[in-house]
Amino acid sequence: MNRRVLLVGLAITIPAIILFVVSLGRDPHKVRSPLVGRVAPDFTLLEAGSGAVVRLSSLRGKPVVLNFWATWCVPCFAEHGVLTEASRQLGPNVQFLGVVYDDKEEKILQFLKENGSAYPTLNDGGGKTAIAYGVYGVPETFFIDPSGKIVAKYEGPLTPQLLDSNLQKAAGRS
Amino acid sequence: MKRVLAAIALAILTTSADRLDAQAIPAPPVQGASAPDPSEIVGEPSGKRLTGDALELETKRVSALLRCPVCQGLSVFDSPAEMARNMKIEVRDLLARGYTGEQILKYFETSYGEFVRLQPPLRGVNWLVWISPFVALLLGGWIMLVRLRSRPNTSTASDESLASSQLLDESLAPYLASVRRMAYDNPDDSKMSAAPNPGPVTMGDQK
Repeated sequence: MNRRVLLVGLAITIPAIILFVVSLGRDPHKVRSPLVGRVAPDFTLLEAGSGAVVRLSSLRGKPVVLNFWATWCVPCFAEHGVLTEASRQLGPNVQFLGVVYDDKEEKILQFLKENGSAYPTLNDGGGKTAIAYGVYGVPETFFIDPSGKIVAKYEGPLTPQLLDSNLQKAAGRS
Repeated sequence: MKRVLAAIALAILTTSADRLDAQAIPAPPVQGASAPDPSEIVGEPSGKRLTGDALELETKRVSALLRCPVCQGLSVFDSPAEMARNMKIEVRDLLARGYTGEQILKYFETSYGEFVRLQPPLRGVNWLVWISPFVALLLGGWIMLVRLRSRPNTSTASDESLASSQLLDESLAPYLASVRRMAYDNPDDSKMSAAPNPGPVTMGDQK
């Protein structure tokens, strides 16, 4: 084989193989959001059902788990159980917030009635808050530290293990 | 899981200075709902508030520059996805409030990253995206030029090739004639087209 052709072929394929090997080990759900490391965009949303006003910046002083979800999202069903259980166990130490992306109030209330609720569920009609957070799809969860800074984002349904590891970051333990 | 969560709770209790009530939401001094304010990210609107046809045209232009995050290479303007529809409405709202196209692109870029721009701006590593096609074209042209120049005399090579194929033909000639005789009942290739037409095959022929 022509030596020059071989060298050109290797120059193209070796970087491609390196890129493939490096990318293979990455978790596709760990999305690098440009918001990580920045102060979480402040919002004021109404709680589904009660209509209570919730402002994110008023929750500073403890970690916040901000979960974007929807009633039409199948993986959100299982995740809702994990978040509800964790919220009950952690009590006042961690503030959980559910933000329902572009859904109808009656469907949200029906879902919460059937599946239980342990933390405020906010209605993001029109999805403006989701856009400000760069949400691609649901479920997506942001972990905010007590100072109001986003320390992690997870795309996809959270398991107890994933929730634990990200909460450690939000609590400044890792 | 309970142990781990309990450990986290203990850790937070010992590190957090603030003690807030259990999942209670302190009532903020605001009325109604409001999404994050783009002015905190891109500053106050620096353009003219658009309305009517001008608003629609600019909405089309700006949303065509934004990538639909849940689609394969479609712009927000072209995509029928729910997410793209919401983003298009947001673009229209921001234009109506006086934000410029560049401010809006920057706002989306802050939340979604540079990926959301369909046309990567000319900065940093993005230069590679714009320059690499031209570099590849020049490199390919140079390789072709070098190869064409280094090729041996083509007329000599053609003559040698013709001579070797004639030799091959002569050695195969008896076999070729035999095949033609079997197929066309004639060893001469000039009468191949005169081969008898077998006609359509009928069910009766198969018996």
